[in-house]
Amino acid sequence: MGEHVLRLREVGVDYRTPAGAVTAVSDVSLDVPATGLTVLAGPSGSGKSTLLRVLSLVERPTRGGVELRGMGTARLSSGARRKLRRRDIALVLQNPADNLIGHLDVGDNLRAAAQAAGRVARVDELLAQLGLPGTAGWKVSAMSGGQQQRLSFGCALAREATVVLADEPTSQLDTSSADLVLETLADLARRGVPVVVASHDPRLIALADTRFDLRNGALAA
Amino acid sequence: MQIPWRAAPRAALSSPLTLLVSVVTALLLSFVVAAAVLHSAASGSAAVDYQRERLCEEALHPSLEATGIPHEHVAGKIQAVREAVPHHEPLIGTYVREQRADFGGLPTEAKFGYRPGATDHLQVLEGGAKDGLWVPKSIADTIGLELGGRGMGGRLPPVTAIYADQIDPLPEWWCSERHFVIPNVLDRDELATGVVWMPSAESFAALPPEIAGVTDMSVRFPADVPRTVDEAAALLAEGTARVAPLTGDYNRVVSPLVLPVENARQTVANVRSAVLGLTLISLLIGLAGVATVTVQWAQRRQSELRLLWVRGAGPLALGGRGVLELGLPLVVGGALGFGTARLLLPVYAPSEVLPPGTTTTAAVAVVVVVVLSLVVTLATGASRTHRMFQVAGRGNRLRKVLTAVPWELATTGLAVWAWDRVQHSGLSTTTKVGALPRIDAAALAFPLLVVLTAALVTARLARWALAASHRAELWSTPAAQLAIRRLAAGAGPVTGVLLVGVLAVGTMAVGTAIAGSQETALEVKSGMYTGANSYAQIPSEVTELPAALRGNSTIVGFVKQYDRTALVVDPRTFRDGAFPFEIDPALLDEPLRVGNVPRREVRLPGLPPIAPTAWVPTFPKLGTAGWVVPVDRISDRDEVGSWYVWSSRPLAEVTAALSADGVKLSRNLDEKSRAVQGLPFLTIQWTFGFVTALGAVLAVVASIALLLAVEVRRRQNALSGAFSTRMGLLPAAMLRSHLLELGAVAGAAVLVGLAASAVSSGFTVPKLDPAPRLTPGPQVPDVLPLLVTTAVGSVLVVLVAAWIAVRAVRSAKIGELIRG
Repeated sequence: MGEHVLRLREVGVDYRTPAGAVTAVSDVSLDVPATGLTVLAGPSGSGKSTLLRVLSLVERPTRGGVELRGMGTARLSSGARRKLRRRDIALVLQNPADNLIGHLDVGDNLRAAAQAAGRVARVDELLAQLGLPGTAGWKVSAMSGGQQQRLSFGCALAREATVVLADEPTSQLDTSSADLVLETLADLARRGVPVVVASHDPRLIALADTRFDLRNGALAA
Repeated sequence: MQIPWRAAPRAALSSPLTLLVSVVTALLLSFVVAAAVLHSAASGSAAVDYQRERLCEEALHPSLEATGIPHEHVAGKIQAVREAVPHHEPLIGTYVREQRADFGGLPTEAKFGYRPGATDHLQVLEGGAKDGLWVPKSIADTIGLELGGRGMGGRLPPVTAIYADQIDPLPEWWCSERHFVIPNVLDRDELATGVVWMPSAESFAALPPEIAGVTDMSVRFPADVPRTVDEAAALLAEGTARVAPLTGDYNRVVSPLVLPVENARQTVANVRSAVLGLTLISLLIGLAGVATVTVQWAQRRQSELRLLWVRGAGPLALGGRGVLELGLPLVVGGALGFGTARLLLPVYAPSEVLPPGTTTTAAVAVVVVVVLSLVVTLATGASRTHRMFQVAGRGNRLRKVLTAVPWELATTGLAVWAWDRVQHSGLSTTTKVGALPRIDAAALAFPLLVVLTAALVTARLARWALAASHRAELWSTPAAQLAIRRLAAGAGPVTGVLLVGVLAVGTMAVGTAIAGSQETALEVKSGMYTGANSYAQIPSEVTELPAALRGNSTIVGFVKQYDRTALVVDPRTFRDGAFPFEIDPALLDEPLRVGNVPRREVRLPGLPPIAPTAWVPTFPKLGTAGWVVPVDRISDRDEVGSWYVWSSRPLAEVTAALSADGVKLSRNLDEKSRAVQGLPFLTIQWTFGFVTALGAVLAVVASIALLLAVEVRRRQNALSGAFSTRMGLLPAAMLRSHLLELGAVAGAAVLVGLAASAVSSGFTVPKLDPAPRLTPGPQVPDVLPLLVTTAVGSVLVVLVAAWIAVRAVRSAKIGELIRG
């Protein structure tokens, strides 16, 4: 892997609304380092979640290009983008429940995440790393919000992805649960996994190795 | 297979409602398709059954008749038959022509015959030993013959039994021999005898030459009675091949199944083509239901599907996830639908008898439908996830196009085309005498196309009205305002339910009206054609009815010259025996002009000159042309063409009463149920009976859709309802608003459906007349019972749906709802 895992070049995203086109992101260029915790910071509506979706290849930008490990993705078909997502990207969504499959138990959630990337999960080892030992047979609904979000990062780990992206991972958690998630993020970064987080949580921003501030859909000067 | 896909069937258990709806949707879909297959095939069996009842069951197998054979050749011919058909024992009847016979007393004309087993099928009055002659009571009484007597100077076996003369209607065993065993006494009075039965073939062969002149012979082949078209066709084919080597030696080959087999096949084709259209529409609605269930599944599983998509799963794989979750309920529903269609066969089909292989065909059709449902689930799941994730925010062009297409104009065009077919051909033309008309499926589709057009127009108008409903300001009536807003919020499901509801009510009403009109038309036309439930020709000298027929019968004279016909009626008893029809009894006391005959004076043989002033449009037997003369105007009964007993009682009772009273009967008798070929009427009746059944299925679909629409919006309604009640809306007003909302949908469906069916039935029923030469034409029956049933059903569904909605509001905890 080179110096940067993800690069954005003059990326812009427009949305069609009944009132006309709205620009959510405008001419953003940035490089995400191949190690450490990168934070996209900014207030609500600044475009950080949109940018994260573009970075995670979930959404195509209206303009500009995205490079993953030096490979341009603009001309890739939907199938090829899915293949990249499958192999290289782990995305953790804002709501903990959205990152887990409710009708599967904890162990199967980890296994399913690994399977999707063509890997095999070492469930007990992962749960121990996450501070959730002995919960493999639990129902997801039996866990607290913080535990669920840590399990979500566990799923990302199980996928052994090239890069982990997370959208406001602490916004729906109480303070103690959020602490557990911050701990997990710090741990990931320590282990050299490149992590990109969109957040306006000051405590999380404080952990950042690299920080990009967004205002009104553009990088703040 | 990855874990989320592997666990999908078990995940289905997490939503019992989706599970239930999937099962019921597939059940109804499979029921419709399986029932269409079973119903069409059963209509063939019903057609065979109907025609079989009008034929002689004993001689359905092709048989042979020879007349005028020299008596000495009979034994040889019998031997030839046995050799030609070694594996099928024939039943051979042999009859000499009437000859003067001497039994020692008064001479008489007698006809001698032998048919194996004949003595087992006669009513013995005296004696009963089977080793001698069996003599009919008419001969025994005429010549004073007693048991033990021997005729022809002792050359005949002794008389060992006296039996009751056979009269119409004959039992099954005898029906094929009617022309041989029932003398036409009104034709040749001196031959008023039954057959003298010989004890054996040998004794018949040894009849003295004076009485053993010319002989008639019938060769029947008893066979199992066919119950299906295939069985009838097989019997006809095998029988024809069996008798083929013998036909050269016989005057007549009797093959009664030729036309019935053709007619039964035509019935199956008619019914199949007629129900195909609606079945396809129902199939499309059912598949749309499957798609709707899948869309709701995708909505409910949105977060899981998004997660899988983010992790790299494609739309097709996600559609497959839907198949794995909803597939089992669809398969179970399909199996249940097939089972239900088979179990309910006696309820909706005209016959329970199915040709071999029909159940397999229906099962294959159900499998195809289930596979189609799975494909629809896969495609809908894939396209939905594609739109939700892959091309999110780009809008749904296909949906916009489908909504914009004026489907109602297309169905209107089809309806106009179908009406043109109805106008020009009605049903269609008969290709040969006695054959069934080839029913024009396009003509039969007209009423359904009208209903479909009405349903589509209603749905479009409702959509426009709901889109414009934000202008409505009815806050002075909060219940109405809330109801309108809720309807507008659920415009899609509301118009869908309305569409299916109108189609259901309209289809049921059209089916009931047309099936009922045909049933009544067959009954009334048959009655008006025969004049009475049963009739039997009697001698002119009979002026009084036997005691058993008084109060239920009448004597009628019939005069015909060229195309002019008149009836001589007894005003006192006419209405007792004639087919019920509306007439002022006083009119019968004077000569009557019927229908379109000219007003001038008319002279007919046996009648005085008549110039009636009174007029009636129709009259039993005469239809719309003829004259009626009271019996007291007749001076000589013998001059009147023929005389009949008309009775409201079954023919067997009439002939038994007349025979017991010593009245001689001719072969000219019949009853209403056999007089008119009813198969064309029944074909339409069966077709629209099935249409009614499909309408009922659609009504169930509409009811479930209405309940489901309420259940799906339960949470949303509960939140807004709970807020409204806490802001001061009275619970009664809340209930009223739900009743208004749901009642408007159900009421509109019922009203439009009934109105569309009334219009289309009103135009169609008079045109769908399989026997236009018989009066009266079909008329729309009273649909009040259907109206009441539909209204009660709708009210019940609305009450249940409103209860679900109000209960959700009452039990809602606002805090939880907001947080959730």
